[in-house]
Amino acid sequence: MRGWGGMVVAVVLAAALIALSGMVDRADRARRGAAAREELLYYPSGVWVRQATLGYETAAADLAWLRGIQYYGEHRLSDQRYDMIGHVMNIVTDLDPRFTQPYVFGAFVMSQELGQPQRGLELMEKGMRANPEDWKLAFETGFLHYVGTHDHAAAARYFARASALPGHPEYAERFAAFAAQRAGDRDMAILLWKRVEATGNKYMQEVARRELRRLGDGAEG
Amino acid sequence: MRGVVAIAQNTVREVIRQRMVLVLALFGVGLVAASQVLSPLALGEGRKVVTDFGLAGSSLLATLLVVVLGSSLLHKELERRTIYAVMAKPIRRSEFLLGKFCGLWITAAALIAGMFAIVLGVVTVSYGETPWLVLGAMALTVLELGVITAIVVFFSSFTTPALTAFFAAATIVAGNFADDLLYFGSQGAAPWVARATEAVYWMLPHLTVFNARGAVVHGIAVAPERLAFAAAYGLLYLMALLIVAGAIFERREFR
Amino acid sequence: MSTIQDTAHRSGATALGGRGIHAVPTMPILSLEGLRKTYRDPMTLKPFTAVDEVTLELERGEIFGLLGPNGAGKTTTIKLLLGLARPTAGRVLLEGREPREPASRSKLGYLPENPCFYDHLTPLEYLDLTGALFGIAPAIRRRRASDLLERLGLGAHARKALRKFSKGMTQRVGLAQALMNEPRLLILDEPMSGLDPVGRSEVKALLREQRAAGVTVLMSSHVLAETEPICNRVGIMKQGRLVEVGTVSTLLQSGVREWEVAVEGMSDAVAAPFRAGGHDVERIGSRSVVRVRNGDSLQDVLRQMLQAGIHVHSVEPRRETLEEHFVRVLDGRTVARGGRS
Repeated sequence: MRGWGGMVVAVVLAAALIALSGMVDRADRARRGAAAREELLYYPSGVWVRQATLGYETAAADLAWLRGIQYYGEHRLSDQRYDMIGHVMNIVTDLDPRFTQPYVFGAFVMSQELGQPQRGLELMEKGMRANPEDWKLAFETGFLHYVGTHDHAAAARYFARASALPGHPEYAERFAAFAAQRAGDRDMAILLWKRVEATGNKYMQEVARRELRRLGDGAEG
Repeated sequence: MRGVVAIAQNTVREVIRQRMVLVLALFGVGLVAASQVLSPLALGEGRKVVTDFGLAGSSLLATLLVVVLGSSLLHKELERRTIYAVMAKPIRRSEFLLGKFCGLWITAAALIAGMFAIVLGVVTVSYGETPWLVLGAMALTVLELGVITAIVVFFSSFTTPALTAFFAAATIVAGNFADDLLYFGSQGAAPWVARATEAVYWMLPHLTVFNARGAVVHGIAVAPERLAFAAAYGLLYLMALLIVAGAIFERREFR
Repeated sequence: MSTIQDTAHRSGATALGGRGIHAVPTMPILSLEGLRKTYRDPMTLKPFTAVDEVTLELERGEIFGLLGPNGAGKTTTIKLLLGLARPTAGRVLLEGREPREPASRSKLGYLPENPCFYDHLTPLEYLDLTGALFGIAPAIRRRRASDLLERLGLGAHARKALRKFSKGMTQRVGLAQALMNEPRLLILDEPMSGLDPVGRSEVKALLREQRAAGVTVLMSSHVLAETEPICNRVGIMKQGRLVEVGTVSTLLQSGVREWEVAVEGMSDAVAAPFRAGGHDVERIGSRSVVRVRNGDSLQDVLRQMLQAGIHVHSVEPRRETLEEHFVRVLDGRTVARGGRS
């Protein structure tokens, strides 16, 4: 770095660095704006929690997820009260918005265990906003409408949305059609729970078996 | 340039002969153990958990290695006066500094590569599928470590190991909070505070540029233009730091 | 063709047109001009002068001993001429180049005081690193490294980690790395320290060998016995100043001679007049030694002794050793200046 050549190189490098920093700055501001809006919609704390993980937010989300499951498991064995599950899943999804399982799990627990399907649907809405291309979130929202709020029209809408998203299985279209025809409440519900029993995690499977027993179709398997 | 290569080689050898293999082995054992313990607890999300922890752990460990070893690497040379014999050779001090930087960065990159290989291996064996996308996150992490290494070398060019480690850690934390700094500065503070925070904001490394861990875990690939941008930003940033560090080190007196 | 051009170029540089191929540049291999280094105490900010107005030129092929007690400024002087520290005033030229230019050090070998090399390397690896820093081709540096280790008696330890080396062995590794580039100038800071007598005599032999090969050596020492027999010239440093420079024989010529007259059975009564005459009288058993300070009075003293019937056992002239000269210089001419402790 001597003489004019060195000076020119230094100036060019500095200019390039400033230009790139400017681009980072614009991205930062855009993210800050979006985050601020989200903050108003949801939690004043969520974004700050995410910043505090210093770039390790997905690992932190996993820790919160593991803690949430532990919480659910503990209370299932004792008082069957799951008041905090929505809060925990909100933190998990604030940290890692693309982690879809916590939306579904949280929503189902709130709907089926706490009898608060509306809160469950809010969590699902948050998940769909963060992951508009995810067919599974749309499908599970339809499911929740069907078995939770019994709003068949809304269920059909979400099943249809799921069947329009990439990667959806062929049964999504069938469910959309069933729901649209307002298929008998019981038949549709049994179908849906059977699918959960076949594909869900162990807690969801237990919920599905219980619901199936309640609907008089627990003999499955 | 041959001096830079020789010093870099020696630095790699120094770090490797000290602790690195041990770090890698411990990481592998830890990851395998963690995946065995955590997977059943994660309600079917074991693969995500293992990958997340693997990526976070390797990046964290490599950062720790760079900060802890890097902050004393230069000071140790001055303290034990090993640098005297080296600087009596036909080599510039800035070349020495660059060699140290390259050696430390190469070592950290090798450590990252080793740990990512372990993550890929564990996930492949446990879940029957190899998450190749994490390689994009790896490339960004290597760039991030280059910037962090340059930060460490920069501070160590004029201050003690303890202060170097402290300043480097503070810069890394602040680098992750850079945008918040701007936000705080703009919240009704005195104009000079706003201007000062703005200045710090522009000088800090924006480390979020190098973080794609959250994306690759969910199957989103690192776009080539993102990689190119991060490479350009990272390399320019570390070059700027090294030029200043070199100028400081050239003027430093050896006691 | 290239020889002719080369010659023309060199003779041009030295303005010695007709001297042909052997027109060696008259540039000194090392020159220090009014060199001064002032440090500031980091706590009190009080300045102290470690090196003060040192001017010196080394002649090619000589072994120069830089002598002085610990803290006299020897190591600081060496640091200045290697570019490890920057002079406050004055300048250093290594074959006409400033020490800050890396090229000035390409034909220089340096052994630091109490050297310390990378613990994690073996001597072979360290010498290879040294060779690489000098830009020596891998094959050549490998051969040179094993030759040097053999020559310095480290052949059996070539692949042992340096952390296991004793002080003496480390010192030998230090000499080996200083010789890797076949230097024209060797700068050795306390080369004998840490060595046993065998090692010291080996190093002396090595230095004579280097001198015979035309290498210029600057070595510092605070122990005179080890430098006296091999140095062509010595310089004595005291509180940062180079107080005396010269060949060993010139420095000693200016020293006062004395005669030791050993006599048998001299009683105190007989000795009294000699004491009164200003001579030291020391009793050792039945013998006494009378120290006579100058040649003129020696005749008188001897005459008096013979007249008194004293048996004169021996008369020995005693030259001042370098050691005594050194101590006298350091005690005597105190420079009124704060030195580095």
